[in-house]
Amino acid sequence: MAKDMTLLWGSGSPPCWRVQIALEEKNLQGYNQKLLSFEKGEHKSKQVLEINPRGQLPAFKHGNIILNESCAACLYLEHQFKSQGSQLIPEGAAEVGLIYQRIFEAQTLAQKIGEVLYYNWKVPEGERHDSAVQRNKEALTAEMKMWEGYLQGCGGFLAGKSFSLADVIIFPGFAYFFRNGGSEERYPNVAAYYKRLKDRPSIKKTWPPTWNDGPGQEVLKDI
Amino acid sequence: MAKNMTLLWCTGSCPCWRAMIALEEKNLQGYNHQLLSFDKMEHKSQQVLDINPRGQFPTFKHGDNVVNESYAICFYLESQFKSQGNKLIPDGPEEQALMYQRMFEGLTFYDKLGNVIYYDWYVPEGERHDSALKRNKDALVAELGLWEGYLSKGSGSFLAGKTFSLADVVVFPTVAFLFRFGLSAGRYPKLEEYYALLKDRPSIKASRPPHWLEGPEEELLLKEI
Repeated sequence: MAKDMTLLWGSGSPPCWRVQIALEEKNLQGYNQKLLSFEKGEHKSKQVLEINPRGQLPAFKHGNIILNESCAACLYLEHQFKSQGSQLIPEGAAEVGLIYQRIFEAQTLAQKIGEVLYYNWKVPEGERHDSAVQRNKEALTAEMKMWEGYLQGCGGFLAGKSFSLADVIIFPGFAYFFRNGGSEERYPNVAAYYKRLKDRPSIKKTWPPTWNDGPGQEVLKDI
Repeated sequence: MAKNMTLLWCTGSCPCWRAMIALEEKNLQGYNHQLLSFDKMEHKSQQVLDINPRGQFPTFKHGDNVVNESYAICFYLESQFKSQGNKLIPDGPEEQALMYQRMFEGLTFYDKLGNVIYYDWYVPEGERHDSALKRNKDALVAELGLWEGYLSKGSGSFLAGKTFSLADVVVFPTVAFLFRFGLSAGRYPKLEEYYALLKDRPSIKASRPPHWLEGPEEELLLKEI
């Protein structure tokens, strides 16, 4: 089971973290794993490219099955191991709809964070504009306000009464936001959600090891 | 069932098309729907914002359950109507995993397509650069190469293998848009084959963007790639 699984991952990557949380939640501890370095370009190494031609992490294998998209891996694990560990997708229609909606909204959040954090990496110097930087910051601010609203009176979890796949997928994104300077004062509901969940066993155990080395960046402090 | 469903949508939208294919596949014809205009900014109208604070299409309600995000609608419908219409999530672990993988790669695929065909929509005039558009086109070409490969090596004619699945529901519209926007015949034979295989599937034909039937023709932004 877990022994037939291999995860190639990088520290501090929200997509990698999602899969690690899901594996813990489904009681699949004992999977093979290898920590690689983005800084050293190891995500483009042969061992990754053999599993994932896109040269991205996470790269996940279960026997001959390959899943290189974090949400795909999480959904696969929940469906294949439905009867063990935590139930991450409940039965009720209303909760199911909300869980899926939040999972896909999480993609938007990740994108908007990326557009601010990775601007200089993605956009060559001659194409950069202050107006674009400003617009990206405003878009991320609006996005965070939306999540702040979703978490108003939410009772501890993003969708419904218990921890679900929506929490697995969104939590690393919020953690990443705060790690990169996001303000807990401006987003008290998101901060409260984040603080409540950071000690959940599956999350605590898989906390990015490099985040214990020192403080993060401040790029998002004005959002 | 379908009578308790409402879809707010617009024509020429991949995300809306995905949701509509899923509704057809699950035999939920007869759902209430309202065709609104993106050009007239109706996605930001009160009627939409009341259900979807993001002011986007598709916006979907089933009784009291609101489900926005096209992929979420597809997953919701398959999970709630598993026993009717076509089965859209295969049971076998290999096919199921491949379905999930291709679905999420489908988001990247759509993104790269949008960065070319919607470039002027996404980027204000003062910020546009030929070099950026060229880079986006190169990225789309690389992406097309991946999908051409996936369709060549696959164990069946569909994205997850031998059966039509949610992967086809969500990715087919992107492929259709490639050809709508002028992807040249002969350059991507496997994609062409896939498009030809599915374009007349009943659920797809029934939900094709209505304005495509009338014309005018689209600007063929992809003919050189």
